[in-house]
Amino acid sequence: MGLKVLLISFKMVIVTCIFGLSMVLSGCAPAVMKSSPAVYGETPREGAGEFEENAEKPGLSPRALAALQLTEQGRMFLEKNQPDDAIGILERALNLNPNNGRNYYYLAEAWLMKWNIGQATEFNRLAEIYLKDDSEWLNRVILQRERIKEQGQ
Amino acid sequence: MAKKKRSINITLKRMLTWYLSTIILICGLMLVYCWYLSIQIDKRFSGRRWSIPSKVYSDTTILYPGQKINRTLLNEKLRRLGYREVAHKPVNKGELNRSASFIQLYLQNFIVPSRYKEGIPVQIRFDENRIESITNLNIGQMLPILELEPEEVGLFFGPQRERRQLVSIDQIPKQLIYAVLAAEDRRFYTHKGLDPKGILRAIYTNLRHASIRQGGSTITQQLAKNYFLTHKRTFIRKLKELFMSITIEVMYEKNEILEIYLNEIYLGQKASEAINGIGEASFFYFGKPVSNLSLVEAATLAGLIRGPNRYSPYIDQDRCQKRRNMVLNAMFEQGWISDEELKMALVLPVMAVGYASYGKKAPYFMDYLSEQLTLLYSPQDLSSLGLSIYTTLDTQVQMAAENALKRGLDSLEKSNPELYRTDPQKQLQGAVIVMQPKTGYVLAMVGGRNYSVSQFNRITQARRQPGSAFKPFVYLSGLDKFTPASILSNEPRTYEIDGKEWMPQNYAPMTEKRIRMRDALARSINLATVDLAMKVGIDQIIDTVSKFGFSTPIKPYPSIALGSFEVIPLELARAYCPFAADGVLPYPLALKEVLDENDVVMEQRHMSIKQVTTTEKAFIMSSLLQSVVENGTATSLKEMGIAFPVAAKTGTTNDFRDAWFVGYTPEILALIWVGFDDGAFIHASGSKAALPIWAGLLNALPQYVSGGWFRMPPGVVKRVVCSESGQLAVEDRCPHPIEEYFLADHVPEEYCRIHGDQASFGRIIDGIKGFIDKF
Repeated sequence: MGLKVLLISFKMVIVTCIFGLSMVLSGCAPAVMKSSPAVYGETPREGAGEFEENAEKPGLSPRALAALQLTEQGRMFLEKNQPDDAIGILERALNLNPNNGRNYYYLAEAWLMKWNIGQATEFNRLAEIYLKDDSEWLNRVILQRERIKEQGQ
Repeated sequence: MAKKKRSINITLKRMLTWYLSTIILICGLMLVYCWYLSIQIDKRFSGRRWSIPSKVYSDTTILYPGQKINRTLLNEKLRRLGYREVAHKPVNKGELNRSASFIQLYLQNFIVPSRYKEGIPVQIRFDENRIESITNLNIGQMLPILELEPEEVGLFFGPQRERRQLVSIDQIPKQLIYAVLAAEDRRFYTHKGLDPKGILRAIYTNLRHASIRQGGSTITQQLAKNYFLTHKRTFIRKLKELFMSITIEVMYEKNEILEIYLNEIYLGQKASEAINGIGEASFFYFGKPVSNLSLVEAATLAGLIRGPNRYSPYIDQDRCQKRRNMVLNAMFEQGWISDEELKMALVLPVMAVGYASYGKKAPYFMDYLSEQLTLLYSPQDLSSLGLSIYTTLDTQVQMAAENALKRGLDSLEKSNPELYRTDPQKQLQGAVIVMQPKTGYVLAMVGGRNYSVSQFNRITQARRQPGSAFKPFVYLSGLDKFTPASILSNEPRTYEIDGKEWMPQNYAPMTEKRIRMRDALARSINLATVDLAMKVGIDQIIDTVSKFGFSTPIKPYPSIALGSFEVIPLELARAYCPFAADGVLPYPLALKEVLDENDVVMEQRHMSIKQVTTTEKAFIMSSLLQSVVENGTATSLKEMGIAFPVAAKTGTTNDFRDAWFVGYTPEILALIWVGFDDGAFIHASGSKAALPIWAGLLNALPQYVSGGWFRMPPGVVKRVVCSESGQLAVEDRCPHPIEEYFLADHVPEEYCRIHGDQASFGRIIDGIKGFIDKF
């Protein structure tokens, strides 16, 4: 019995060591610089666009890459305060790649510009579903939701 | 004598007075007439001079490296867009050079709302039926995406059926103006509407050649005749023409007259449509804007004015060339081209681009669009304002849908001669609608087998029972109380409806008395579905369905579970969209933008969505409908070359009156209906009659299939359950454990009851073992 207790204790020590080591290593890993995504209406976005930002990501299908081009065009129309043109392009992007949550985010933004709170809310909800694994973008989506609520009041 | 002389003088004076008075009166009358004409002319010229038909365009086509492509459909598309094949690398816009492994294409400029795309030369390289790369040939750069211009789908004509593209005098090259003047009116810039010298010269030339070689009418006279008068050869008409010419000359500048003339003249025929104006003719004969016409092309067009159909290069190339050379010689005689230019031009052949006279493209779609447009514009405005109407239509999908339907119906008739009807009005019918479920874009619509025989649009106007194609909505309604693993009763039962007995039956006899919900939908089991409907409650089903946009009345009878009420096929297709779109119902979008003749946006429509069910339920429904293809009534899809994940449902109504198939992927949704208009039996189920058409359609559209599937949303979990009980499976106890999706807040908590005793015993043993192991 005593031997068994000793064995279990040894196992726990090993597991704790591995866990601790991995935590230390992750803390020491070089930080990856990411451009902070801006929120429309708050800070204008600068630097690389959707396509440049994502083109090198491994595993992106050619279809998704092509859709990113359209997403980027849509984003640029939003920057020029042309929501109708942005929506037209983003719809095409959505048809090409329905899984890119940023399309929904930008669509919500465009509808917000057009003061259509109902559509903005719908697209914001969809953006949240598709961007749930991207903490940075999820944060933007949450901020957007607050802006939609504010504008709707 | 003096008296006689005085009398003669008086007579002469009277005659002179009378004569002068008459002349003054005639002159006065002429002036009044000219004044009257000037009012008429001003009235016509100051307003809208021409009725320009509005043009309907398809959506743009997107190409990208890595895209699977149907090369036949792409080649046809390029041909319809007016790209002309050349044997060398394209150097002019609109030229195309094709080989087995690539297409070199000099893109044409195009304008879509808020975007102008300048044409560039590109090379699209293929790896069999996949685009390997797209290169900008100007700078050798690879392109990640390429957009082809929208395709003209149809026009809203007035009664004249005239095609016309207006051009301003500044856009018309000098050599075209010279060519027209050489051919029609050399002294145009010097005469005042009439040209006596020209008339004499015409008489002399015609006498010398003993044939009608020249006309004496000036351009102004021709304009007066074409614009205001009839073509009758009467003295009165000729007189009117003279007065009108003089009046026009007084009222307008020479360049203004020439511009109106060049936009007015008739220059040929494209099937039933008249080609009017130099702008339209330039595209019709040479596939390019008027500003890009070469000398020989300009001379050819000028030569056509005399007799557009007689000298048309599409009718007689030799005659066209002779006429063109006459114009070139006349230009040389006037000193408008050099000797060298003349010699070079005379030997060149006439090279018209050719055209295809298509029947009405996507006619049912056009009718559907017209209904929407007539709410915005009067038929008069549509046929005269020259609007550009942009739609969601994809002509490649439209062609594929038309072909698939034709082949499918032909094949059905061939396999079962009972379905063949000699009367075209009574023949077997079918309909197809293709949508993008996320946005509601209508990509294609085929409302019947032959538009020229029947214009009844079976997608938007028919009301038919959906049969089993309605079952998914029953299952969706049940997801609040049941799970895909729930067990339903498959035993016959009699229901009482309004005092009458109703005893539903299965499509084929079955021995299983209990069946899992997933299997019941996959295999389209009637008894189990009615069992579910009765457990869920008919009111609950109607409540769910009412959110999905059906406009037809749904009565609260148990038989609605089997699709016994009528639906409009478009609405059924739309109602399936939320399953593929995170629970969101889109508005079916056909019309996108309307631009006026100055490219100013007048109307813009976007996708419009409304949540009708949760994302989680939508995902589970797609998973259930995937089982229909994996191991249900639509397994034959795989044999027909559909190797990618698909969610679908077959539908067959009582006595085989209607056959349905609705299938979708994350990117595309298509509904097929087959039946007779008069409700006669088609002797085939949805899987036999409609499914092959769907397979044929999707096989022709590789560009719309990514092969991907829906992402599992956070509110859905996977559990291993016993296939017999639908409860959590016990390891090594349940003989057929399966993985199943559940709503996170609706997960089975109990372990399998069927194998429960053994399971409980097993769990006790496991617990004891674990306890012992700890020590």
